[in-house]
Amino acid sequence: MRFLFLFSIGLFTGLVSSPIQAESRPPILRPNDRVVLLGNTLIERARLYGQLEAALSLAAGESVTGLTFRNLGWSADSVFGDSRSYFGTPQEGRERLSKNLSELKPTVAMLSYGTGEAMSVDQGWTNEKGAAAASAAGLEQSLALFEASYQKLIDRVRESSGDSLREVVLITPPPLENLGAPLPDQTENNRRIARFRDTIRTLAEKNGLHCADLFGALGGDAFTGEVTKTPLTDNGVHFTSEGYSVLARALAKELGMNETILATADPAAKAKLREAIVEKNRLFFHRWRPANETYLFLFRKHEQGQNAKEIPMFDPLIAEQEKVIAEARARVLSGTTKN
Amino acid sequence: MKHFSVSSFFLVLLATSPPGLHAQNGLRDIPDTSFEAQLEAFALPSGAEINLFAHEPAVKNPVHMNWDQKGRLWVVSSPLYPHIQPGEEDNDRIIILEDTDSDGVADKHTVFADDLHIPTAILPGDGGCYVANSIEVLFLKDTDGDDIADERSVVLSGFGTEDTHHLVHTFRWGPEGMLWMNQSIYIHTHLETPYGIRRLLGGGMWHYRPETRRAEVFMKGLINPWGHAFDQWGQSFMTDGAGGEGINFVFPRAVFRTSPGASRVLSGLNPGQPKHCGLEVLSGGHIPDEWSGVLAAPDFRGNRINLFRLTDNASAYTSSQIEDLVSSKHRAFRPIDIKMGPDGAIYIADWYNPIIQHGEVDFRDPRRDKEHGRIWRITFPDRPLDVAPEIDVASDEELVDLLLNSEQGWNRELATVELRERDPAAMLPLLASAKAKEIDPELFALRQVWGSQALNSPDLERAAKLVSAENHKVRAGALRALYYSAESNDAALGLAQSAIADPNPQVRLWAVSVLAQRPEKNTVDIALQALEGIEVDNFLDFAIWSICREHADRWVSRTEGGNPFQNLRQLLFAVRALNQPVAVPLITEALRSGEFTSPDEIANVSDWIAKVGSPQALGTVFDSALQEDTGVKAQAILLDALASAGRLRKIQPQGDTTRLSQFLQSDDPTVFASAAALAGQWKLDSARGGLERAFLAAPENPNRARSALDGLVVLGGPKTAELLGKVARDEKADFLTRSLAVIGRTRMNPNEGAKLAVAVLSAAPYGKDPYGIFDAFLANKKGPGALTAALSEGSLPKEIALTGMNKASSAATRPEALVKALQKAGNLKPMKMALTPEEMESMMAKVAEEGDPHRGEEIYRRASLQCVVCHAIGGAGGVIGPDMVSIGASAPVDYLIDSLLQPSVKIKEGYHTTLVTLKNGDSFAGAIAREDANEIVIRDAAGTENRIPKSEVVSNNISPVSLMPPGLTASLREDEFVDLVRFLSELGKDGDFKTPPNRFVRQWQTLMPHERTRDAIGHQGPVIFTEAIDSYVWMPIYSEVGGGVPTGETPDVVGRGSNRYAVLRTFVDAPDKGPLRMKLTGKLKDLTLFHGENKVALPETGDEIEILIPIDTPGRQKLTLVGLKKWGLDRVSLELLDDAGKSQLVELKDF
Repeated sequence: MRFLFLFSIGLFTGLVSSPIQAESRPPILRPNDRVVLLGNTLIERARLYGQLEAALSLAAGESVTGLTFRNLGWSADSVFGDSRSYFGTPQEGRERLSKNLSELKPTVAMLSYGTGEAMSVDQGWTNEKGAAAASAAGLEQSLALFEASYQKLIDRVRESSGDSLREVVLITPPPLENLGAPLPDQTENNRRIARFRDTIRTLAEKNGLHCADLFGALGGDAFTGEVTKTPLTDNGVHFTSEGYSVLARALAKELGMNETILATADPAAKAKLREAIVEKNRLFFHRWRPANETYLFLFRKHEQGQNAKEIPMFDPLIAEQEKVIAEARARVLSGTTKN
Repeated sequence: MKHFSVSSFFLVLLATSPPGLHAQNGLRDIPDTSFEAQLEAFALPSGAEINLFAHEPAVKNPVHMNWDQKGRLWVVSSPLYPHIQPGEEDNDRIIILEDTDSDGVADKHTVFADDLHIPTAILPGDGGCYVANSIEVLFLKDTDGDDIADERSVVLSGFGTEDTHHLVHTFRWGPEGMLWMNQSIYIHTHLETPYGIRRLLGGGMWHYRPETRRAEVFMKGLINPWGHAFDQWGQSFMTDGAGGEGINFVFPRAVFRTSPGASRVLSGLNPGQPKHCGLEVLSGGHIPDEWSGVLAAPDFRGNRINLFRLTDNASAYTSSQIEDLVSSKHRAFRPIDIKMGPDGAIYIADWYNPIIQHGEVDFRDPRRDKEHGRIWRITFPDRPLDVAPEIDVASDEELVDLLLNSEQGWNRELATVELRERDPAAMLPLLASAKAKEIDPELFALRQVWGSQALNSPDLERAAKLVSAENHKVRAGALRALYYSAESNDAALGLAQSAIADPNPQVRLWAVSVLAQRPEKNTVDIALQALEGIEVDNFLDFAIWSICREHADRWVSRTEGGNPFQNLRQLLFAVRALNQPVAVPLITEALRSGEFTSPDEIANVSDWIAKVGSPQALGTVFDSALQEDTGVKAQAILLDALASAGRLRKIQPQGDTTRLSQFLQSDDPTVFASAAALAGQWKLDSARGGLERAFLAAPENPNRARSALDGLVVLGGPKTAELLGKVARDEKADFLTRSLAVIGRTRMNPNEGAKLAVAVLSAAPYGKDPYGIFDAFLANKKGPGALTAALSEGSLPKEIALTGMNKASSAATRPEALVKALQKAGNLKPMKMALTPEEMESMMAKVAEEGDPHRGEEIYRRASLQCVVCHAIGGAGGVIGPDMVSIGASAPVDYLIDSLLQPSVKIKEGYHTTLVTLKNGDSFAGAIAREDANEIVIRDAAGTENRIPKSEVVSNNISPVSLMPPGLTASLREDEFVDLVRFLSELGKDGDFKTPPNRFVRQWQTLMPHERTRDAIGHQGPVIFTEAIDSYVWMPIYSEVGGGVPTGETPDVVGRGSNRYAVLRTFVDAPDKGPLRMKLTGKLKDLTLFHGENKVALPETGDEIEILIPIDTPGRQKLTLVGLKKWGLDRVSLELLDDAGKSQLVELKDF
């Protein structure tokens, strides 16, 4: 019963570690922090709902003003940067990420990787030269590859972000859900994610980083394969807006933040805040990941590169929208205080 | 006459003007935007009528459309395209159009959503609609009945946006109830699905099942595959908005042009066709009967819609173009989607824009139309409309009846959508027990299978039974139905095995596709049996090739114990597919013992050994070449394999290599060339004397001299250097030999070559460089620097310096220092690279007012301009540059002028130059023809394919320089330039320069003058031109846009007295016995036509005749047309009329 064995190890490690580090550390977010969210589909889609940013921003507390968030999530990205590579190799994707980080100069970077990798250990999850075959050669080889390349990614984030970077947070993948046939049973994938979670936790410890264990916090360790009654996802993997609300609260808690505020905030005011965040995310998306890259910046820029001058013109619009967000946030917090 | 010459026009010193200014040019050319102007401009087949169904402001720039079960048309429109401006909202729309009173005009429109970002596809279904929204596929739903979306979820995300006319698009429901979607060349997609990560880099097609949330790649490649339709048997056909091969037949794992890393690609069914956007299979009772099953594909560049008829051809199809469905003289009519409507009429989405895209025209060009958009409706007033069933309110029984018995494709498609929204428990039994009406019961049963799949409960038993149906289309369709779940259906292996030897190749193709999904060890063993008993065509060959590679780990290790397959041919197929040194002892032993007998098989074996074989295996090849009974053809094949192995892999055969000397005596040019190359590679100094003699005899036999030079250069050393230096410096030596000496020396050492080059170039006759001295320098990393240095101390005549500058400025390496050095050495002023806005204005006015397109065509065809060498028009011409078939209808005039003057400013997608540099400094520039793990094949500007070992590559970059040299038009007078531009600007527009759909022979060979003809023709007559004389030289010649060949352009082949002949030949593949119907035009009394060596009887008078050519032996037929020029013969054409049959014109490359 190899699977059960692996599973029990996962469970065991899950029990011995806990968010104790949060107790012993200063607050994770401070005034004027520039937070970069980096990861795969989980991060990319969070921009559409605003739940994650709203929760972190509110749970940071009233005194922590001037927070900005920039979402660098990319669907199905791997720790090698596969999805960011456009026409090139994953190396080019990583270089692009470095460029993004060096421009954004984050003070806090929150990284979430592992879901796609864990689900693809028999099919392959990267096109990185010399690693593609190993990424399709089963769980153990994938884990080793993931650990080594995640370490390099952490190093890259530190190096590219510059001296202002204060905190790096590793967020583990949340558990997958079983939604019943005809959707696939994710029990086996959750066992794999548990192992990835353990690896991520080891990496965090080794590097002295915060680790937010969403897998444990959202019931991954207790998962026994039953069909979920109150799903947070719409396909077993990807979170609904409500799902993100629950996930965001769990993340805030994992990070030792004041997550109780999220329960008491006025829903209408919070919805306004999220709306403002989503609009900022729309503007920032057109700024950092514009369509027509081929013509604006890549190998056909000699034809249409003159249009690239428009792209930085999103910056003042984003700055304006940050003011709208700050006002909306203040309204939520003042309402909450009154209550 | 004012000369548009080098001095007065091109060599004026001028700063380049900013490209933005050009954007204003031609604003006055904006077509009249009124409905009436568009209506007047349409041309329709007799009996057809067109009316406006919907228009702006309700619909602006419609991109894609589909019907729902209520008979409403859903349209996405995108004024945001091509790029959002800072400050703009994501505000593109979905509009629902309704014709509530059934008068053929939409009288109600509802904005379902207005917050989208360049939506490129819309598909109603599952109680809402799926929409492509750049990086995502969204599902939008209205929950309160106001027809405005109030629920939104992300279905899939991670589609690339690298180019907004390549975004995920072309949504369509398949008969099996899956959502099909396409993406194009620049898009890199990364999806996280509940089944793991799925990536598709480049173009291709996906299928997605909403219930299971499973998305999988079906096929890869094509440039902009913006069209997909299913025929009534469930087979998939695609069109390509940037490709030009008409209809493409696609199947699982098929790979087409531009798929990254593809080592083999398939072609479309209509090479040389215009580019198409959208595809629909016509059906129903309202359209003319003869159009049932015909494919309609909008040619949005040419403002028309083409029709194609498919017939079976081996495992795939022949596609023949018939008349146009509609064409328009209105330049802003851009048909980009076509769908049959509920009333049986044909609906067309007209994106309405004078400018079609944004790669080559500025994003913000003010001519972009963002206000207009039209939906047109074509009907046939003499025929009754079809009755539109109310699908949404049909009873379950009515719905099943419609799904299974309807002759209307759209009704079945919408019934499938409705079925998916009903209760499977109620529907499945009804489906299973339904009765066939007036329909082929096997097709009915196949539809039952599809219905069960649409409910995600596939009736695998019924599908299994249909694998042995009478009708091969049903057998193939049943296997396709089984394909999707074959991975988890253990019965699939046996079913595929039973179908692998099916008499019909289409069925075999699907059997192989099913096998590719299975995990068993023997999938390849079974798949290879599809090779037996029939002639295997390219599509089936591809499918078997593909599984041999994908499932390599299941058979490779088994070759150690002998041939695991049924026979040697199967083994050879598998190892060649894999392209790795597997089973080498088995194959080489068979080669040695003479088990391979046909030249093709021997060529295949040696080509494979050259690529993968060890020195020992190469020794076997060498032994075979040396055997006494080996013929010259086989010798050439075997030696070429050895030479390739040496060049690509730096290995040589085991054993005594001096035995090569006998081949250096060979009169066969191919054998000699390979032997010379091998003498160099193998460092056989004993061969030096013979090579030197052949080199010095260059004037008598230039090709042999070039081969000898190749050998001498590789042999190298002081002896070669001394010889070449001596010849190059010998002013009395002929220019050819001196040129070759410089070229050779340059290849050995660019600096030494450069020292010799200046003097030789100065002696170049007429300032031409016919043997490629400049090219030799440009092809070496150190070459331009070396020549630059040598030029600093000397000067060159103006003409040769100009020749050099033209070559250098179009080189992918951009050797700017060399360009400057040539300017200085030749005392040239810099080439003018751009017109001022005023000059452009005046040039455009001249083109419009004075340009003569007929004269322009003559100029276009001039040998000195070389247009035809690289560009085809409707398939007639070279393949190096884009096909010009509809350039006039798609490109603004200023764009054409710019592109002629500065080819590098705008480069068509798919035609970017790749520059590959090797460790030894050699560089190759051209298009990537294909690549695999070991080698990359670059097609250069001369059309030559260069095979390059990947291990030798140090860099591989996309170059910003066009392969087209600037200054090609520098020799033209201004009036000629104006005519040329006018001709190009007419291409594809309605009129004389729209390539007609007729199957004219467009690719010919013409005989060069030959010494024997004067006498021989007197004795035997023109039949001598049909003889296989080795020394006849045949050169390519292409027909004009109108289909004819001007006989004035063919060389004068000398006959008796003052008789001069135009001699043309072509080939036709006729797979069946029986007469081949063709039409010949030209002065018949001066023409003689041969079929093979038999004269075809022609009348004594007249200018056109239909002829029947009897085909007794099916296969390739040679047709030779001989025209006596002296009585005023000016033009001939030959047209294949046999459009319903399978006969195919043969492409020049296969002559």
